[in-house]
Amino acid sequence: MPESEVEQEVQRIGRALHTALPGRSRNPVKAFDARAMELASRDAQLRAALFRLVDVTPACSSLDDLAAHLGAYLEEVGERPPPIEAALRAAHNAAGRRALGLAAAGGVRHMAHRFIVGESPEAALRTLRGLWDDGAASSVDLLGEATVTREEADRYAQRCHEALEALAEAMGEWPAQPPLEADSAGALPRVNLSVKVSALTPLMRPEAPDVGREDAAQRMRPLLRRARDLEAHLHIDMESLDALETTMELVFELLDEEEFSDGPSAGVVLQAYLRDSPAQLDRLLEWARASGRRPPLTVRLVKGAYWDHEVVEARQHGWTPPVFEVKAESDRNFEELTARLLDARPLIRVAIASHNLRSVAHAVAVNRASGADDCDLELQILRGLGDELQQALAHNGLRVRAYCPVGDLVAGMAYLVRRLLENTSNDSFLGEQQRGTPIEELLVAP
Amino acid sequence: MSDFSNEPVLELRRAPVRESLQEALRELDSRLPLEVPVLVGGDRGAVEGLESTDPGTPSRLVARAGRAGEAQAQAAVEAAARGFGEWSARPAAERADVLRGAAGRLRERRLELAALMVRECAKPWPEADADVCEAIDFLEYYARAAPLLETGPDLLQVPGERNTMRHAPRGVVAVISPWNFPMAIACGMTAAGLAAGNAVVLKPAEQSPACALALVEALRAAGVPPDALCMLPGFGDAGAALVRHPGVHVIAFTGSGAVGLDILRAAAETPEGQGHVKRVVAEMGGKNCVIVDADADLDEVVPALVGSAFGFAGQKCSAASRVMVHEAAQDALLRRLGGAVEVLEVGQAERFATDVPPVIEQEAQERVHGYARDAEAGGRLVARPERVPDDGWFCAPIVCADLDRDAAVLREEVFGPLLTVESVPSMEAACDAVDALPFALTGGLFTRNPGTVQAVAARLPVGNLYVNRGITGAMVGRQPFGGNRRSGIGAKAGGPGYLLQFTEPRVVTENTMRHGLVVG
Repeated sequence: MPESEVEQEVQRIGRALHTALPGRSRNPVKAFDARAMELASRDAQLRAALFRLVDVTPACSSLDDLAAHLGAYLEEVGERPPPIEAALRAAHNAAGRRALGLAAAGGVRHMAHRFIVGESPEAALRTLRGLWDDGAASSVDLLGEATVTREEADRYAQRCHEALEALAEAMGEWPAQPPLEADSAGALPRVNLSVKVSALTPLMRPEAPDVGREDAAQRMRPLLRRARDLEAHLHIDMESLDALETTMELVFELLDEEEFSDGPSAGVVLQAYLRDSPAQLDRLLEWARASGRRPPLTVRLVKGAYWDHEVVEARQHGWTPPVFEVKAESDRNFEELTARLLDARPLIRVAIASHNLRSVAHAVAVNRASGADDCDLELQILRGLGDELQQALAHNGLRVRAYCPVGDLVAGMAYLVRRLLENTSNDSFLGEQQRGTPIEELLVAP
Repeated sequence: MSDFSNEPVLELRRAPVRESLQEALRELDSRLPLEVPVLVGGDRGAVEGLESTDPGTPSRLVARAGRAGEAQAQAAVEAAARGFGEWSARPAAERADVLRGAAGRLRERRLELAALMVRECAKPWPEADADVCEAIDFLEYYARAAPLLETGPDLLQVPGERNTMRHAPRGVVAVISPWNFPMAIACGMTAAGLAAGNAVVLKPAEQSPACALALVEALRAAGVPPDALCMLPGFGDAGAALVRHPGVHVIAFTGSGAVGLDILRAAAETPEGQGHVKRVVAEMGGKNCVIVDADADLDEVVPALVGSAFGFAGQKCSAASRVMVHEAAQDALLRRLGGAVEVLEVGQAERFATDVPPVIEQEAQERVHGYARDAEAGGRLVARPERVPDDGWFCAPIVCADLDRDAAVLREEVFGPLLTVESVPSMEAACDAVDALPFALTGGLFTRNPGTVQAVAARLPVGNLYVNRGITGAMVGRQPFGGNRRSGIGAKAGGPGYLLQFTEPRVVTENTMRHGLVVG
């Protein structure tokens, strides 16, 4: 199909998805979040205050303590809108602080519930089942504090084992959902767990990737066995660039081991904001070609969630940032990688994880142009951010999976802050969409 | 100083960068031992009397050096007095160009120089690389500051009178430098002396003569006249002779408190024939405390503490040695910190996987072991990894808690991989404890309450307070560095005002009125 026709398809699909987006939710909880985030994305200082509040909430010993922190953050906001001014006045006496602490704790909890589906896999099952019935599969991500000790690495591995067991037991009982259960390459596991290598070892050392790889391998191997035996999918998440070498080497090494040649189904992540990502894809495909594994490796393409971290770290060290600094470059790279990934099938399976309507429509169009069936392209969204897109995708008969974090508030804060950062960034697609940017602009080629 | 930026450290997370460093080390090894002569003017002295060895493999000879004594110190000061005339006569801009040229030469050799620090001082790669970068930064920073000394600050002017002030060099600067930042600190003090127009006699630590030679070579090759920069490899006697010499005007010292105070006493002498009072710039020890509030994020506290206390085996004057944690967070912190220290890799500096390298020499190993025994006997051992190589001056990193308030290990500088943890009922109590120490070099604070940051920062006497991050790794121009109280006297290195210590101010007031006419 000529390029211009693909582009027409992109526009057509994009509009169809846009039309299928449900209206702004009337759910009061979501309305509260939306208000807070709208305020935050307008004012950098308010945004900072909101993030610091979310970040400190689980560490506060009492409502009074929480209110004192909130008061101190708001003091630093230059021009305070009336509701903020009122909050600040409340922080001056004990009764006011209690009320303010209650409101703040409630607000943060609401926000956390939007992004985090439950404190444990068992608690998350109701939501996961709801997604399944709505035509969306899931990938569970266990949130946790940073791993700095062996015991913490062991505990995380243990939680992963328990999650696999719990999910396999419950999901085995679920009714069939044929569009979510197979593609041309074969059956798709219902149980899908995302794991982080940095949580599996206290020895992540960017300048010595071998150390972390060897240590994490000892905990990853039993997990792969468990996933294989339960016929579950294990997806190895990508984190900041400091962890990339360790993560890729670990995956290649373990999946090449004899005992994993027939399973489990496994996946990795490619971050399109990295300037080196085309070369990383070369390496991935080279490995996949050389490997004799039966289940194809799933590659999840994402933009990347550590943009601010990578840029700040590079600036502090005087390095060239490893990420594209202009959003359009990143978006363009995303589309180029999408095309290359789809072209590499059936060697790999492809999952496109984006809330950018244009990127998603592009992937669907390129997939169809290649003559492949819709079921051979997986689309992924983040729970709490892409819920509306998820509904639109399912409504259009596309195969969608929601990434669902599970964990308590303490463990979830770092995740929550990253998501909020993403949602309130001026560059974010969702932000543009919320501001009412016309569909023509949302769908323009990068 | 608007165009100054720090020399970027190497991106060690990239495999080809690491390979280039290993290659530089192999190349260096093929040339060992290096030869380090006494350098007085154009003369190259003998290379016997002093040897430096690899702390991780003491049988490996890194450098054969000359051993300067009183006679060489005498000759070096005389040469420097001659060199001072020529060097100080050059315009500041020209001196600045020479320093920039030296920075360029260090830049060209940076891989080799990092490798040299790995060998001679067992300084691990990230720290060794940062050391070279800091040396480059000092040269570039002081080169930019030097021309400002000639114009001086603006003074009040009234009709018929012209007032000017400039900062003239003082004469001969004696630099006594330590082994723990074998390039950076030697370079900072030397470059400051030279930038201001003085001649310098450098007496480097006996443990790291080869690193110092690389610095002197770079400066001389860039155009510092040999007389204006002499080097005296040797032991304490050479340094003692140098600081007592009546021809020395400024003594720039970084090292232990005992030696620093001895230098201050010696410098106060004004023997017959010495027409000036010596000035001393001294950076001495520390007992650096990190305060952790109940609301701190332990995910960040633990790695920051581990890095600050055990990086380079704790052998930085800025290293963390005492943690004061709010009682509400103590159990969790001890559990996580202990676990993080248990997995530390003790090994050779050349391995990228090494977290804790050996200490500099046997005497240091014995000292650290002594403090570790005391801490263990007087308190509770929280963590100590078992696997430690036999050969080399290795010390297991150790964390102890519940020590008696009066324990020596809570007051004295250990200068090794030992960290103590004590709980405090409040931030005020933590501040009181820090305030009670005679040292005031660096300090740390972890809290997520901006009010606490303000209150603690207002109370702590330390020269450099780091909030919500590790407490080592001061950068030139970003964290001017230096201690207060018994930790040091003088302006902060790598900051505004540092060069002034190497100068004397001269004010000229000219009457510009003649017969009622203002002529100037």
